[in-house]
Amino acid sequence: MVNYIVRRLLMLPLVVLGVTFLLFFLTQRLSPEMRASLYVKDPRQMGALEEVIREYGLRDNVFKQYGRWLKNVAHGDLGYSPSANMPVSQAIKEYLPATIQLAFVTIVFVVFFGVWFGCGSAIHKDEWKDIVARLISVGGFSLPIFVLGLILLMIFYGQLGWFAPGGYSVQTDVLIHSGMFKTYTGFLLIDSLLNGNLRVFWDVLSHLVLPAVTLCIGSFALMVRVMRSSMLEELNKDYVRTARAKGLNKFQVVYKHAGKNAIIPVITLASIQFIRLLGGTVIVETIFDYPGIGRFGVIAAQQLDIAGILGFSLMVAVLFVLGNLLSDILYTAVDPRIRLE
Amino acid sequence: MNRSDEPILEVRDLHIEFAGEDGPLPVLHGLSYTLPKGRVLAVVGESGSGKTVHALSILRLLPPNARISQGEVRYKGKNLATLGREELRKIRGNKISMIFQDPAASLNPVLTIGQQLTETLLAHRKMSKSAARAKAVKLLEKVGIAGAEKRLNEYPFQFSGGMCQRVMIAMALALEPDVLVADEPTTALDVTVQAQILNLIKQLQKASGMSAVFITHNLAVVAGIADDVLVLYAGMCMEYAPAAELFEHPLHPYTQGLLNSLAPVHEKVDILPVITGHPPLPGKLPPGCPFAPRCPFAKDKCRQVCPPLFEENGRRTRCWLREGK
Repeated sequence: MVNYIVRRLLMLPLVVLGVTFLLFFLTQRLSPEMRASLYVKDPRQMGALEEVIREYGLRDNVFKQYGRWLKNVAHGDLGYSPSANMPVSQAIKEYLPATIQLAFVTIVFVVFFGVWFGCGSAIHKDEWKDIVARLISVGGFSLPIFVLGLILLMIFYGQLGWFAPGGYSVQTDVLIHSGMFKTYTGFLLIDSLLNGNLRVFWDVLSHLVLPAVTLCIGSFALMVRVMRSSMLEELNKDYVRTARAKGLNKFQVVYKHAGKNAIIPVITLASIQFIRLLGGTVIVETIFDYPGIGRFGVIAAQQLDIAGILGFSLMVAVLFVLGNLLSDILYTAVDPRIRLE
Repeated sequence: MNRSDEPILEVRDLHIEFAGEDGPLPVLHGLSYTLPKGRVLAVVGESGSGKTVHALSILRLLPPNARISQGEVRYKGKNLATLGREELRKIRGNKISMIFQDPAASLNPVLTIGQQLTETLLAHRKMSKSAARAKAVKLLEKVGIAGAEKRLNEYPFQFSGGMCQRVMIAMALALEPDVLVADEPTTALDVTVQAQILNLIKQLQKASGMSAVFITHNLAVVAGIADDVLVLYAGMCMEYAPAAELFEHPLHPYTQGLLNSLAPVHEKVDILPVITGHPPLPGKLPPGCPFAPRCPFAKDKCRQVCPPLFEENGRRTRCWLREGK
């Protein structure tokens, strides 16, 4: 097992190199002038363009430029992001926790309700509970995220005014950037509790509701289906018959015996979904103006902020590998056949 | 052998049907027998004869598309076919337990052998977990598994098929049940292992004096273990007799055919005699005796009217040839 984790971690640099080089290579399709123009805001200083190009060696060949970037990354310098107006590493530190927070709340929703509905659906196969769960699931599948997001925004913000877009209210913004609020983890949900400030906690949580619900729907629909079919498959197996023949009660038969086997594919799915959420909440963060890393990535891309794009993709690649590793570890924890072989 | 006439299990006119696309498909047509205390009854039949369905129906473990449409399964006077769910649960694994055909698939792959053994004990007895574990060690030793203490922490995939069946037997006998239902317990195993498992079951059955219903398609298996034999064909009892008498002097042409098709041990034969043809499909029984189309002695009457079970000297035979004998 330790061996396996080490092997996986050795893969990390390879994936990261692959992804970043690909992107770096793509950005080279832009002329040096275009890449330099971002740093020269004032049209009257266009003469300085050539200076920037020379200073940063933008005319050098791809490998030389990429090597320079890598060297800086190794020293912890991801460059400066003009679109966010701060160093890329600081932007990640600022925006990533909000996205992790959103992804985490979402995946907890998805797993909890997905497993619940999926199990119920399998146990009451072809009864009304099953039919309702399947209808919700098909509906969730068919509803594009951006449509659902806009509908929710219209109803719950526009009409009812219950939940607002953004990451937190103006008051919270002022408070957390004042000296009164200590930052421990960067996760506002946790930090607000550590500060003993429930008002901030509720404020942040209420801003999470709409984007989390929107993100949930598709994953939830998938989770219900996987859980349902996995549970149905397991309930038909011989060992379930044995469990019944032993005189175990229905709860033990369904959850302890069938459930423990049926949950294995669900764990894999949940980890994949979690990783996908970390890198792919772009649309939802944009719709709800949520200050996460996805929104940072979109703005960087729109403004041709190359340092920002590279930093964003580097981070996504690292998360991707670590997320997969986590999924494998969870997987082996449940399935002894994999753990012991 | 502890012989007493007090019936421990009694099956009366048991009918089972599957839900088919064009209405119900009957697979068992009025099976009846009594199982006295301490006796072993072998139920023999080809695949499709209804023997496994019958075994599952005793503890109401039928798949969702099958049901008992008529008849009773009586255990100590209680009708298991209609018993309340909780009462039935208290009997399952405790008073009547079961072992199955494919031992490796019958154990849960993600729970340890220890967990699966102790949960049976804990489901029916008030005992501490450590006491249950100590008992589980004893049970594994009893079925001949070495290093029991350590093997309790292992998973089914670390056991061979024969070892898995030993675990299943330990689990089934954990609470000293009155009846063991064994559904082809050796079919999935190697021949050498088959003999070991059969001997183990026989030895444990004798020691505890429990009754057993032993389902098999293999008459050779029956010879060593059964006191009585019930031959099933197309969901009907064809012949019911004490094992020794049945082997010595089979009355039904089907039983005779089955015995003839066994390879003799001391002679060399080129071609074994077979029963030609196939058993009828469920729902497509011929009007007369279900065996008539394959029977070398079939007369017109056999093809028109299904014979009842004729009784003679404690044996029962469903054949017109036995009428009035």
